[in-house]
Amino acid sequence: MAAKRIGAGKSGGGEPNILAKISNSEIVSQGRRTVGDAVGVSKKLLWSTGKAAWIAGTTFLILAVPLIIEMDREVQLNELELQQASLLGAPPSPVQMQRG
Amino acid sequence: MAGFPPPIFTPQVDVKTKIGEKVDYSNLPCPLIYEELHREAYMSLKPELFEGFRFDYNKMVNEKFFVTHSVLMGPTEVPTQHSEVIKIPTASYDFGAIFVDPKLMLLGRVTTDGRLNARGKCDLTENFSIKGTAQLTNEEHMSQGQLTFDYKGSDYRTQLQVGNGSIYGANYIQHVTPHLSLGGEVFWIGQNRKSGVGYTARYETDKMCHQVASGQVSSNGLAVMNYVQKVTEKLSLATDFIYNYISKDVTASVGYDRMFKQSRLRGKIDSNGVVAAYLEEQLSAGLRLLLSAEVDHVKKDYKFGFGVNVS
Repeated sequence: MAAKRIGAGKSGGGEPNILAKISNSEIVSQGRRTVGDAVGVSKKLLWSTGKAAWIAGTTFLILAVPLIIEMDREVQLNELELQQASLLGAPPSPVQMQRG
Repeated sequence: MAGFPPPIFTPQVDVKTKIGEKVDYSNLPCPLIYEELHREAYMSLKPELFEGFRFDYNKMVNEKFFVTHSVLMGPTEVPTQHSEVIKIPTASYDFGAIFVDPKLMLLGRVTTDGRLNARGKCDLTENFSIKGTAQLTNEEHMSQGQLTFDYKGSDYRTQLQVGNGSIYGANYIQHVTPHLSLGGEVFWIGQNRKSGVGYTARYETDKMCHQVASGQVSSNGLAVMNYVQKVTEKLSLATDFIYNYISKDVTASVGYDRMFKQSRLRGKIDSNGVVAAYLEEQLSAGLRLLLSAEVDHVKKDYKFGFGVNVS
């Protein structure tokens, strides 16, 4: 069958450099487009990840952080009360008697 | 306008017989919507969020008479025609007086904006009571008043409301089984020639209200369903679903209510992108700190407030 002709118009043999240049530039332009698309998509991905992280972070800050703080305080208060109860329940400590 | 101090008087739920655990049912056809049936859900999901600084001082003059002073400094929203909301910093001082008696309760509150808010409730007999509320303002034609007649039966309650501007409403609720109560209401607004019907149902598992599910449908397009569960005795979770079948508006929200020894924390998240939290902490006897936060991610509106409550 007839040989495949890459490129249009120019017959083979005569000027391979220009043909090569054209094919090169097609591939190069395609490659450039793809790279541009990839950069765009990754920028959007980064941007939306950033937005999602911001929303998740502030929501966690408002909903969960006060809860955690209060629960810690509750635990501390309970421990303090337990300590006080055990302290007061015991006879006057020898340290105080020595000081007095 | 900021709400009244938290109710320290007459709870609205009475227990009569085993069947007749009633819940008061009130629906006012004015901008303030007040539902006792959905009370447990709204305790978690609708805390009194505010923006700015708030200071409340409640003083007990007598065992029956209380006086409150409150100062609120912060931005208030003024709606404009462009559906944009402008915030204007305002400061206001309110003075209120409350008189509580077993049979009579009177409440009055006056603000520096020139508004007077008055409420009275009188129990004429054990089953029949009359309530009146009035809001008087400086502006013309903006004053409102309403009178409510309540009758309580063995397992039902019925109510008739008459307001100025020829607003009439009536509602009725009945306990159908020990757990389920159903009710309905009709109202008629003379000025706009509008009338409406509504139905409501409430199902609760036991008297301690471990689980409460309630719903309401009304002819002005609103369908509301909510569910509250007391997960432990300190934590309860609530969820809410509001559907407006006329404007096709849907909102769902989930909230929690956690009690601690010295504080109470409520948080909620909405399908409109609103996250809110409200903390009340007892710093010492008679001194309470309030912190309120509301973040709207969609409209980019951030409201934070702090306040002190002295009693």
